[in-house]
Formats: sequence, structure tokens, C-alpha cells
Amino acid sequence: MSSLKPTRPTPARIKSGSTWWRRTALLCVAGTIAVLPLVFTDAYWRTNLIICALNVMLALGLDFVLGYAGQLNLGQSAFYGLGAYVSTLLIMKLGIPFWIAFAGAIVFSCLAGIVLSLFAMRLRGHYLAIASLGFAVITYQILLNWISLTQGPLGIYAIAPPPALALPGLPTIDFHNLANLLYLVAGFASLSYLLLDQLIRSPIGETLTAIREDEVSAASLGINCGAWKVFAFGISSAVAGAAGCFYASFVGTLVPDAFFVTESFTILAMVVVGGMGTLIGPVCGAILLTVLPEFLRSIGDLRLVVYGVAVTLVVLFMPGGIVQAAQLASARLQRVALRGIVP
Amino acid sequence: MTAADSPAPEFAARNAGILLRVQGLHKRFGGVHAVRDISFAIAEHAIFAVIGPNGAGKSTLLNLLSGIYRPDAGSIVLDGVDLTGLSAHRRVHHGIARTFQKIRLFRRLSAIENVVAGFHIHHDIPLWQYVVHGPAFRRNGGRCRDEAARLLDFVGLDRRAHIPAGSLSYGEQRMLEIARALATAPRLLMIDEPAAGLNAAEVEMLLDRIQTLRRSGITLCIVEHNMDLVMKIADRVLVIDYGQYLFEGAPAEVQAHAGVIDAYLGGQPQ
Amino acid sequence: MAVVLQQAINGVVLGSLYVLVALGLTLVYGVLVQINFAHADIVTLGAFSAYFFVHGLGGGYIPGIAVAFVVGGILGWAVNAAVFAPLRERGSELLPLIATIGVSIAMENAMLAWFGPIPYAFDSPYSSEVIRFGGTFITVQNALIISVSVLTIGLLYAFMKFTFLGKALRAISQDRETAGLMGINPNQLVMLTFVIASALAGMAGAMLGPVLVLTPFAGTSVIVKAFAIVIIGGFGNFDGTILAGLLVGLIESYTTQYLGPGMIDIIVFALLLVMLAIRPTGLIAEKREENV
Repeated sequence: MSSLKPTRPTPARIKSGSTWWRRTALLCVAGTIAVLPLVFTDAYWRTNLIICALNVMLALGLDFVLGYAGQLNLGQSAFYGLGAYVSTLLIMKLGIPFWIAFAGAIVFSCLAGIVLSLFAMRLRGHYLAIASLGFAVITYQILLNWISLTQGPLGIYAIAPPPALALPGLPTIDFHNLANLLYLVAGFASLSYLLLDQLIRSPIGETLTAIREDEVSAASLGINCGAWKVFAFGISSAVAGAAGCFYASFVGTLVPDAFFVTESFTILAMVVVGGMGTLIGPVCGAILLTVLPEFLRSIGDLRLVVYGVAVTLVVLFMPGGIVQAAQLASARLQRVALRGIVP
Repeated sequence: MTAADSPAPEFAARNAGILLRVQGLHKRFGGVHAVRDISFAIAEHAIFAVIGPNGAGKSTLLNLLSGIYRPDAGSIVLDGVDLTGLSAHRRVHHGIARTFQKIRLFRRLSAIENVVAGFHIHHDIPLWQYVVHGPAFRRNGGRCRDEAARLLDFVGLDRRAHIPAGSLSYGEQRMLEIARALATAPRLLMIDEPAAGLNAAEVEMLLDRIQTLRRSGITLCIVEHNMDLVMKIADRVLVIDYGQYLFEGAPAEVQAHAGVIDAYLGGQPQ
Repeated sequence: MAVVLQQAINGVVLGSLYVLVALGLTLVYGVLVQINFAHADIVTLGAFSAYFFVHGLGGGYIPGIAVAFVVGGILGWAVNAAVFAPLRERGSELLPLIATIGVSIAMENAMLAWFGPIPYAFDSPYSSEVIRFGGTFITVQNALIISVSVLTIGLLYAFMKFTFLGKALRAISQDRETAGLMGINPNQLVMLTFVIASALAGMAGAMLGPVLVLTPFAGTSVIVKAFAIVIIGGFGNFDGTILAGLLVGLIESYTTQYLGPGMIDIIVFALLLVMLAIRPTGLIAEKREENV
């Protein structure tokens, strides 16, 4: 070899997933969401699906910072709660219109996340895990005890759903109707997925992955690990804040108990069981862990025990979660199918 | 990345300047003086070797140059730019790249994904196109893929592009690290013990690649243990022992130097 | 003045228990560079096992502490064998942390299902007796806690400094590879560290039982403070942890007295953030350069 010119052209395939496949999957998802309220006509299940969509958003946010940037953020419950309370207080105490309060909640949560991560930026992951856990505990305590602002355990009542949308040519969309609210939240969940997916499939995803795999190495390639970790954290908390805003407007009554630290662990379970660092895995995990308790009523209190055990087992035996299990299963099916075709 | 065809002597004559100047570098860990008052200069387009017995402080020196450690005293100037206070990642912008003695690849990523990671500072995409993947995004992606393929081909890994880095052989991993470092388009490439663990054929290829890199305009600083390799390709050699400067000169001078022979070659001239 | 002194005593009592819990965390971090999130739940289980030994089986309180010590040790062995040992080869810093979170969630909620959320009244026979001195008094229970803690910490300190095993532990936390080359089996030592750390936690739980509200979440109320102590004192730093533990104990008792119990966590957390910002290596800084 006497020069750097390649001896033959090599069209390297870096990312699999052709556009056709992704567009089809997108249409399927859109179709499924469109059909959901028609299948589930009772308020109970529609409520569950809305919570499902909210959990999907929370899980996506966590996966971005945990699965891709490798930072263990245990504070999602806090950013969720901050989004809920900030938007509600802006609307009810300052009379700010819903969508501006929505933006405000996102900005607030994002900034909170950035500030928190700045403290642990240069240090090992354990520090961030602890600091974020502490943050979750403190935020809950503040929400509970700052009665003059948050009304504490009594909660804030009569929170209105998002204002009705009057689009030209269409009938007014009233969000007291659960089906419409479901479309709205599911729509935003899908939007969050698309946004994060686009970021992941860009050089930003490569950068975060490099940081996750080996920070020293990444720095030797010019990557400012601290800044990118803060970025990932900000995105993660922003998405949680958005979810919080929707939660408040959907639930009508806002109490601090909805944002106890256990919420952070539940979201972690969704991400881990679904498959860290896959985006689609946490979506599945969120849906599974929201819907499953409905079918496992008898277990009731042991629900969290099951989550805890599931997380431990997944980490030990199938760290890629559901996604890895699905990949293994499909590979096995392919082998079986080939054996059938090729004698 | 420049694929140059001009032969070495013309290049050297045109660019006889100093690329890296290191002065009075000190570093201690607790009570141990890992590096003590080391000064040297690397000429542009040279192949500069740093040798010394085990524990002499070679890797520490490399870590100081690349920015992982901050020196307690001294300065590091690259082509007139003072790098001493800069963090590791900022130095890459000024054209320093390195490989690691204990291979630090992204083991779960494929070979080509490792190389592409090295393009971090060279992406040319307007911010909004990170969210909506437009034409500049696609152009950038294509450019990265082509460059990465070229680099993999250069180190002989073109057929192994999609193998996870952790599954490559030791020699292949070493070459991959070099390819990844080259992706940053450095002016100075520092390689830490590249021949360690390589068989004879792999060392030959390594030598050849290093020569090619120099011809294409890159300056090389090689920390090495293997005296044969150093004697074959180095223009100048810095010998350190116990963290201190021992000798610097052309390979032949090094071999003849009494102090070096004592400290390192065990009193037996090659 | 009597109040100040009284709170000081409370602070030292709490502080010494926090030190026992935090020392466990810091010991494990020293040898493994890992945090066991389930540590807090071992504290809780220690408290419960002592409770059932005393109130269920009618045993003595001090033997109850010994029981909790043993239970803690067994749990430590279990967590290490089940989680840390298998994950050691994977080389990920994150996975063991997440696994212990899973264990912690499972343990906590299993206890919740088993024992219920209603606090258990853990009455130590020594709670009611007092020793009077200098215008104030100390309950025998508190005196017991302080004595046992001081004794344990002293023994541990001596163990680390003067015995071969102790030195081996310190060797491993400084340089695992070289220690291994010197004939020390790192895995066995890690196991030993885990068992000791968890036994300490169990014992601390038994002594915390009468002092705290005994519910399945008792450990959680301690954990944020324990983590804060480890960070303030410096990961893997024995002396720093003792100092930080006492500091947090004193902060807690004075905060409770003057500002109300709700502010404790907030103040401790604020202190934690301040430490992270200005001196992340802890009060008694011990620089650990990354081995590249």
C-alpha cells in the first residue's frame, strides 16, 4: 500500500433500517393509535392508555440519557412532578394560556435537569445516580411541605384539560373527551419518539454512545463528555416535564404522592426490562409495565416486587431486555425456518 | 485527510519547522515524580520515538501531551498554540490524536462505527438538520462513510468493517485504534506501544503504514519498547528513564550512547 | 444550654449509627468501586430481624443486635454472590448499580407486603433507663449505641490497619491487579468486605430500630443521608466517613430541634451538592487519578 486511496470502492453500511421499513412501521403505529379509542370505549381503559402514553414519554426520556449516554438518572419522578406543578401553577395562579405554560414547564424541567447534571458532570456515574436520587427525594419533600405554593398533600383541584382546539374546517376538538385527550398525548408521545430517534440516528447518537462506552476514549476523539452529558440530561428532563404537564391536565387533581421516588424506579424498570439503548425497547417496556398490572390484579402489592426482581434478572441474564429477547427469538425462528426450507 | 504522492525529501525540505515544543514538563503523583523536567521538540513530518525502560514515564508523558493529566509545571506548545491549559478534548481540535497502550476501543460497536466516532469534530451539519435529516445531513453521512471505508482499507480492516471491535484480533484492534485516531485528521498522531503483542507480519504492516502516514503529511510520535522498530523508522529518538530526560538524538547516536546502553540496553550494544 | 448538649448527644448517637451504615458503603466502594443500593434495605432487615428476635422470640436486646449482625452478613454474601460476582466480567460500571436497585426495590416491597406499612414499636429495654450527668442525661439505649458503635469502629480501624487481611483490603482498593499478583485472592476479599459491610449495616439497623420509625422504608430514610456521608467524607475514605457521619448526625439533631424534621433531608442534600461542586473527593481529599 503506497497511498491512502482505497483499492476498490467500499459502500459501507453503517446503520441498518431502510427508509421503507421505518415508514411502514410509522404508518402502522399511527394507524394503531387512531384505532385505539374505537376499540377501548370505556373511560377506564382510555385512562390507562393515556397513562401508558405518559409513561412512554418518561421512559423515552430516561433511555436517551441512560441507554445512550450511559448516565443513571434517578430523578425522572422529580422532573415529571416539576412539569406538572409548574404548568398547573402558571395556569391557575398566573392565568397563563395552556400551551405557553406547557412550554414553561418544559423549560423549567430542562433547566432543573441541566443544573443537577452540572454538579456531577465531571465525576463518575455513581455521583450522578446518588445526586439525582437525592434530588427526587428533595423535590417530593418540597412539593409535600411547601403548602402555601402547592397545597401539599391536599393537592390542587379542578385542573382543566387543555383548551379546546378550533381548527378551520373541522369541528372543535374538546379535550374533556378522553378519546381526544388520548390522541393528543399519544401524538406527543409519538412526536417525542420521532424527535429522539432522529437525534440518535444522527452524529449526536454516535457521540452519546461513545461517551457511554468509554469517556476517556471519547475525549481523545474531541468529544466534550461533560457538555454532552448535560445535554442528554436536559433533553431527558425536558421530555419528563412535558409529560408532567399533560398528566396534570388529564388527572384533574394534582397530589405530590404521584411523584414519590418509586415512580423513578418504575420508569427505570420500564427502560431496563424493555431494553436500554434501543428507544423502541423502553416504549414496549412502558406499555407492558403500565398494562400488565391490570391483568395481574391479584398480585397487587407485589407488583413492585415483581418489577424489582424483573430488573435484576434482566440485568443478569438478558441485559438487552425485551428487544434482545425478540432478536434472539427471531434469529432462532429464522434458523428453524431455514432448516425447514433447506433439507 | 490528504492522500499525498510527493516523496519524503521534498516534503521535509519544505517544512523544516518544529511542530511540537515541550518544555520543563513536571508531573508527580503523591510522592512519586512520574515525569521530571522533560523538554524536547518534534519537527514537522518527523517520526519521533520515545523510548525507555518499563516505568520510565513514557505513558505518563503521552497522557500529559494528550491532556489526560495536567502538568504540575512546564509547557506544551503545538505550532505556536499553548496547549498546556487545554482539556483533552479541546486539544483534538488543534490536531493532536492518540492511541492507548491498553486498547480502548468501543468494544460493542463495529469497526466502522468506531472510526466514524472519530469524525466528531468534523461534522458539517446545520443544527436543525439534526432533527430533520436534510440534504446536508445526508451529504455528511455519505462523506463519513466514505472516509471511514478509506481508513479501514488503509489499516487492512476493510473486510472486517461490521465486526464488533471486541471480536477483532489483538493486532486488528491496534490498527483499528490507529484508524479511529486518524479520523480526527490530526497533524500529530501519538501512538502508544503500537507493536506490543503484534506478530512479525503485523509489525511489518505497521511500519509500512507509519511511513505512508508521514509521507501524507502527518507527524508521528511513537512511544515504543521495541528497539528494532524504533531504529528502523525513527528520525529522532528521545530516551527517558525514571521520568527524566536521558538523551535525544538520531537512532544511531542513541545506540552508541553510553548512558542509554547502561540504563536500557543492559550494557550490550546492538 | 442543656438543650444544646442534649441535641449534641442525640447528634452523636445518630451520627455513630450513620457512620456504621456509611462505612459499609465506603468499604465496598473501596474494593469494588461499586455502590450497593440494597445496602439500606439490609439495614431495615437488620432492624426487623432484631425486632422479631426480641418481641417475637423473647430474646435479649443485645443478642438481638448480634442476630441482626449475622443476618446482615448473610444478606451481604447473597447480594455479592448473586449480583456483583456474576457481573464482574462484564466490565460495566452501570449494570451492577442497576441490578442492586432492582434488588432494593424487590426487598423493600416484599417487606412492605410481609410486614405492612404500619410502624412497629421496637421497644428496647434500655430506652427508659437514664444516666444523669452534668445537668443533662443520656438514655442507656443511647449510651449503648455509642459504646457499641465506637467499639465496632475502633475494631474495624484496627483490623484495617494492623491485620494482614485489613492491609490486603486496602491493597486491593488501591491497585487490584498488583494485589492479585501478590497472592491475594481479590474475589474472596471482595466477598469478605461485603459480608463485613452488610453485617455492620444489619447491626446498625438493630440499634436504629428503637430510635427510628420501624417500617419497611426505615432504610430508605437513612440511605440518602448515608450516600451524602459517603460523598462528603469521600468514597473509600475511612476517616472522612467517620467525620462526615458525625457531622450529618449533628446536623440532623439540631435541624430537628430548631427547624423541624422536614428540613433535614433538604439541608443534607444541599450540603451534598455543595461538596460535589467544590470538593467532590470529600473532606479529606484522596486523589485518585484514573488509570489510563
